[in-house]
Amino acid sequence: GHCVCAYLFLTLTAAEPWPETATLYQPLKEDQILLSDCASSLAVQAYLRMCGLPVRVACKANAEFMSPSGKIPFIQVGNQVVSELGPIVQFTKAKGHSLSEGLDDVQRAEMKAYMELLNNMLLTAELYIQWCDDATAAEISRPRYSSPYSWPLSTLLAYQKQWEVRRKMNAIGWGGKSLEQVYEDVSQCCQALSQRLGTQPYFFNKQPTELDALVFGHLFTILTTRLTSTELAERIKSYSNLLSFCRRIEQTYFEDKGS
Amino acid sequence: MGTVHARSLDPLPMHGPELGVQADDMEAPDIEREPKQEVLENKDVVVQRVHIDGLGRTKEDLLTQEISLVFRAKNLIDVMRKSHEARQKLLRLGIFRKVEVVIDTSQGEGALPNGLDVTFEVTELRRLTGSYNTMVGNNEGSMVLGLKLPNVLGRAEKVTFQLSYGTKETSYGLSFFKPQLGHFERNVTLNVYKVTGQFPWSSLRETDRGVSAEFSFPLLKTSQTLKWEGVWRELGCLARTASFAVREESGHSLKSSLSHAMVIDNRNSSILPRKGCLLKIHQELAGYTGGDARFLKEDFEIQLNKTLFWDSVLSASLWGGLLLPIGDKPTSIADRFYLGGPTSIRGFSMYSLGPQSEGDYLGGEGYWAGGLHLYTPLPFRPGRGGFGDLFRTHFFLNAGNLCNLNYGEGPQAHLRKLAECIRWSYGLGLVLRLGNIARLELNYCIPMGVQSGDRICDGIQFGAGIRFL
Repeated sequence: GHCVCAYLFLTLTAAEPWPETATLYQPLKEDQILLSDCASSLAVQAYLRMCGLPVRVACKANAEFMSPSGKIPFIQVGNQVVSELGPIVQFTKAKGHSLSEGLDDVQRAEMKAYMELLNNMLLTAELYIQWCDDATAAEISRPRYSSPYSWPLSTLLAYQKQWEVRRKMNAIGWGGKSLEQVYEDVSQCCQALSQRLGTQPYFFNKQPTELDALVFGHLFTILTTRLTSTELAERIKSYSNLLSFCRRIEQTYFEDKGS
Repeated sequence: MGTVHARSLDPLPMHGPELGVQADDMEAPDIEREPKQEVLENKDVVVQRVHIDGLGRTKEDLLTQEISLVFRAKNLIDVMRKSHEARQKLLRLGIFRKVEVVIDTSQGEGALPNGLDVTFEVTELRRLTGSYNTMVGNNEGSMVLGLKLPNVLGRAEKVTFQLSYGTKETSYGLSFFKPQLGHFERNVTLNVYKVTGQFPWSSLRETDRGVSAEFSFPLLKTSQTLKWEGVWRELGCLARTASFAVREESGHSLKSSLSHAMVIDNRNSSILPRKGCLLKIHQELAGYTGGDARFLKEDFEIQLNKTLFWDSVLSASLWGGLLLPIGDKPTSIADRFYLGGPTSIRGFSMYSLGPQSEGDYLGGEGYWAGGLHLYTPLPFRPGRGGFGDLFRTHFFLNAGNLCNLNYGEGPQAHLRKLAECIRWSYGLGLVLRLGNIARLELNYCIPMGVQSGDRICDGIQFGAGIRFL
């Protein structure tokens, strides 16, 4: 039943072209969004730009709760809503837009492995620093996360979120890690990415893929976001090819073509 | 002289007032029975002592207020009547399982020849009672497990805990009730609760966690309630297919509101009244005591009943309400009014008329609804005087409208909007009274004035609920 449904869904969505009104939803940019959500949102925006699919960015205080999976970001295309990069890639593929079409099976497997690495290491590290490092949680994460709400709901929701993330960290064995260990994990992750990238413009040579979008989203956000400590950004800055990779994608996809 | 035993003139329902059971459907007991002994009837008596036997944790000062009127009786009939009243008052406190009254001549030292002693023999309710109920709300059934601590501090205070495991969601609530000494109707209730509801007509799920404090008191012929409520509301989509308009309402909000309710109810029964009228006015102001929901909400309910020929009853009701947002934030889907269904405008599906988006009903900021019913006993009156009296046949005519009001337009435009595209329906059916709290209806309905987007229920419609148009 599932397969038939999925097939039907794909054929139906494929029939409709990409609408002008496609919208990406994320939390409020100035006062609310946190590093990890900002990175995920930027990754999706980069991916859609690489595909040449226009999307309007809408900032909503309740974006997290509007999202069908509870994760940031999600896109609304026609009457469909899809959240997170993975499903969005599938969704665009069904509409005939794909960046990884030209890859062979081995490359595709490799791409998936690196994306997993990034989600498991870098994204988890971001969440750890945001919610498990007491200074960051108290000075940045809790105040920003709860900024749209009035007291006492603000306090309640912020601690509820913190508790939820910490429980998840404990479940995956990150609960006992120290901040230093987490920074070390980030370094290792960057080292792996840096080695894979080498001197190529993109991870799979000339053409960007969803992996490039994901890496760009996270690294660029970390480099441009002010936290209580600059340690996280410093770890990335020691890999010069990653820095120029970020710069390249920013220039190619995010700077006005006219100027 | 013998003992007059004024034993249990009529059994009062032992479930407390929290079930909404009102003693209104019971005929006043006929206590003025013709006394056999003429000697006693006119003789002046003095109530010398009033005893209360069987008190455990109940504080006496609570009861002295309730029984003091017995001392004012001047003759035996009066003593019996006053004792009966006192007994009723004691039972209403909801702390005794049984109250018996024994009236005897005074004995012992200082006994007057015409002195009487009145003894109330009471049996207290247990410290902790459990209950199991099945509840019927508006088209939703649930199993309710309740724990009650009656008279917990000895002055008719009550702590109740309810856990309801519903067909749709699970909810719980803890409440503390305290009446004023000697004025049972003047009371304070504190509540803590979590209620989760699913509203498929809006593809919406709502979880409310709240605290409230309520003060009720009678004023002239009305009963008044002042309430403060703080609720943390969490809205979410019921399904992935929910419309985007509902999705946009998802998330958390905090409502802190002050509300006032006034009720005048002189009907003889709340479910199938034969006479009397009901007026209910409710107003709620949210946002001035904190929270992010800001609105003023007003609504009313009027019902008039009149018995006509052959035990048939004509009943007319009118409901209306208005929700005004304060500030520039639009109103929330959780605060708006809904209309339609077997308990309001029959012939339409539950809450399925008015503003909607992709099949999800979003509610409206203004509404009115009127109903005209002719209730008659069952044809040929089977089971008369017994089971058959729980049933009525009825003919009905319902009408109403629900819409959003643009507040720039002024009251004239609002009225015009509410008078456009009126939904109405008529039909006939069978009504079954369930106790004194709910009723079931099986109707044949013909909906009229259907607008595009409304979901109708043409033909047979079944309804269960506690509030009916």
